[in-house]
Amino acid sequence: MVATSIITVSILATMTVAQKSIYVSRQALHATQAAFLLEEGAENTRIARDNAWSNVTALNSSEQVGIFTRTVVASNVNRDDTSKDIVTSEGTIDDGTKLITVTVSWPEGGIAVTKTLRFYISNIFS
Amino acid sequence: MQKNSKNKIPDRALASQIESKALSGGYSILELLFYIAFFVTFSLFVINAMIMMTKSFKETSIYGELAQGGVILERIGREIRQADNISSISVNDLILNTTDTNNVSRAVGFRFVSPDIQFWDAGVGWGDLNLPNTVVTGLAFTEITTAKGKAVKVVLSVRSNNDSLARVVDFYDTVVLRGSY
Repeated sequence: MVATSIITVSILATMTVAQKSIYVSRQALHATQAAFLLEEGAENTRIARDNAWSNVTALNSSEQVGIFTRTVVASNVNRDDTSKDIVTSEGTIDDGTKLITVTVSWPEGGIAVTKTLRFYISNIFS
Repeated sequence: MQKNSKNKIPDRALASQIESKALSGGYSILELLFYIAFFVTFSLFVINAMIMMTKSFKETSIYGELAQGGVILERIGREIRQADNISSISVNDLILNTTDTNNVSRAVGFRFVSPDIQFWDAGVGWGDLNLPNTVVTGLAFTEITTAKGKAVKVVLSVRSNNDSLARVVDFYDTVVLRGSY
């Protein structure tokens, strides 16, 4: 009876690990796909900037790519009046710089997983 | 005679005791059936668990092979990013003009020859980017021309040779040629 219990528990534990490994592998694959979608969102922003800075200032898009939802949002950047460093509050809005937030989310086992990429982009062509 | 009769009584008692012990130490049909049923059930459980674990291992392996699509796209993306210009582009083929670390111009190319992606460097074929078990079902290049440079959109679709469900996974990327500025 003791031996049977030990074997049963061992098998159940191994099965749980096996199930978890499938979940982790699937999540890793989706995370890889999401990483490329994030990169693509950043590159698309660069393309928009290269065409016209006004494309970036009005950026606020959302699109569905397979199971993934990608949003790209541009927000204002404030700079300190003296040092010209980027500050989170106060200072003056810098019209030549935008904070881009690319978000990719997808459902994973009933839970929504979200990956975010934030970067600054500057109007270097005018 | 008296001695013999005296000996016979303990012999019978001993035999009875031995018989009784033998009966109590053995298995009844009911016990036997119970153990057989238990063994069969336990064996089924163990076999089922082993099949499940084999399937899990295979599934994990399939996901690993599908994730190879990311490695392929990473290589393509890196070459596009380093490139100076696009030499030629079609839906399935891309040849880029680039410069190596010694500042020597060279051409690198990606060619989709179903079910593989061939990598060419300075006119020399370096083989397939995908592993034998990773089947490329689609590769599409699209040129994007901006006011300041160029970019390439890449859509890559892969599946695993070991996947009986033939699931196809798509990877998307767009890369601006840094040398085109």
